[in-house]
Amino acid sequence: MIPSAPFLCYVTEESPSPVTLVREVLEGGASMIQLRHKSASGDQLYQWAIAVQALCREYNALFIVNDRLDIALAMNADGVHLGQEDLPAAAARKLLGPKKIMGISASTYEEALRAEKDGADYVGFGHIFETSSKEKHCRPLGPESIAAVKTAVGIPIVAIGGINRNNAALTITSGASGIAVIAAISRAPEPEREARELVNLLQHRQ
Amino acid sequence: MSINAPAILPRLCIISSGTDQDGSGLLIRRQIRLLRPSLPCLLQIREKHLDGATLFRLSLAVKTEAAGRNASVSLNERADIAAAAALDGVHLRESSSPPDKLRSFTGNMIIGKSAHSLESALNAAQSGVDYLIFGPVFDTPSKRQYGAPLGSGTLRAVCRSVSIPVFAIGGITPENARLCLAEGAYGVAALSLFTDTGTLPELLKTFEKMLVS
Repeated sequence: MIPSAPFLCYVTEESPSPVTLVREVLEGGASMIQLRHKSASGDQLYQWAIAVQALCREYNALFIVNDRLDIALAMNADGVHLGQEDLPAAAARKLLGPKKIMGISASTYEEALRAEKDGADYVGFGHIFETSSKEKHCRPLGPESIAAVKTAVGIPIVAIGGINRNNAALTITSGASGIAVIAAISRAPEPEREARELVNLLQHRQ
Repeated sequence: MSINAPAILPRLCIISSGTDQDGSGLLIRRQIRLLRPSLPCLLQIREKHLDGATLFRLSLAVKTEAAGRNASVSLNERADIAAAAALDGVHLRESSSPPDKLRSFTGNMIIGKSAHSLESALNAAQSGVDYLIFGPVFDTPSKRQYGAPLGSGTLRAVCRSVSIPVFAIGGITPENARLCLAEGAYGVAALSLFTDTGTLPELLKTFEKMLVS
């Protein structure tokens, strides 16, 4: 289910209307949308999720929900993405069943290994570079960390954290299967064009 | 249902204080140890500030503590975590996702929902939940964010309009609990009333006389 060619995952921004950019990003070639909003009510998230999923189907992209497995199951999303502070992966996999996608955030080699053991389909690994999207208390891992994790983990690695046009190709050559992006797209003057540029860089990086 | 959970819906709902800073469950576990086996109780874990991993651990700990004490355990809002921890139920906020969509993974868990107006209570009842918690009926600091007290008259209107059990919440005392029952409430729910473990045993005795026939 995870795309085999290097792909772009857009993670929605913590804004009052996270859905507005999704069509543009899909038009630009994103293969996966992750709905992430920590402060929204269950009903609001559910409504957004239905709207984003409809768009994703139109563009043949995957749709996953961050943290809220209940919402993902309620509206039959393609999967869920869980952080280290969320419902533990092994427990989530039991509820999710074997077919749906489960992504797990990891920022260490050990967390990545554990995620694979607990049934993750991919690891969201980072933050790779300096990032402004999320509060971070540690230093960026750097692209070389992807190669190190890649040697031990069999599932795809999605690089996250500070990824932009300048460094996207490097994450792929370092072993990532895809990139997850928030700010590079949501804060770009032309989000659709930014997404398209990133996808081009991933697919024609030589 | 967990071991020795009540076969029918309890009429007393104790909601956790919302002050569990680290998810250790110290207060709610102390409360559980004071429960009376002869008084079925619905315990709702409601610690909105805790992350999913902590809520999952807390749910498992509360479930273990409550086993064999004639208590059902539910979790506020997060049906996924409640199901993963095999709790007895989930209690949805007024602004939750559609309850009927949760049944596919909640199995035979009890699904309840909060309502803070007559209209919201009617909508919630139609959405297929098993019970409502309606309020604030009386004034209470912890519920002021939901507006002015709705009064026992509105409680009566709700109880007459829906066919599912209604718990009254908001400023509940043993005295006004009798009034709520007279207005048609199935039971009562409270947070702050039960947080003083010094007075809890006596309170539970009083509620047992009122609620268990």
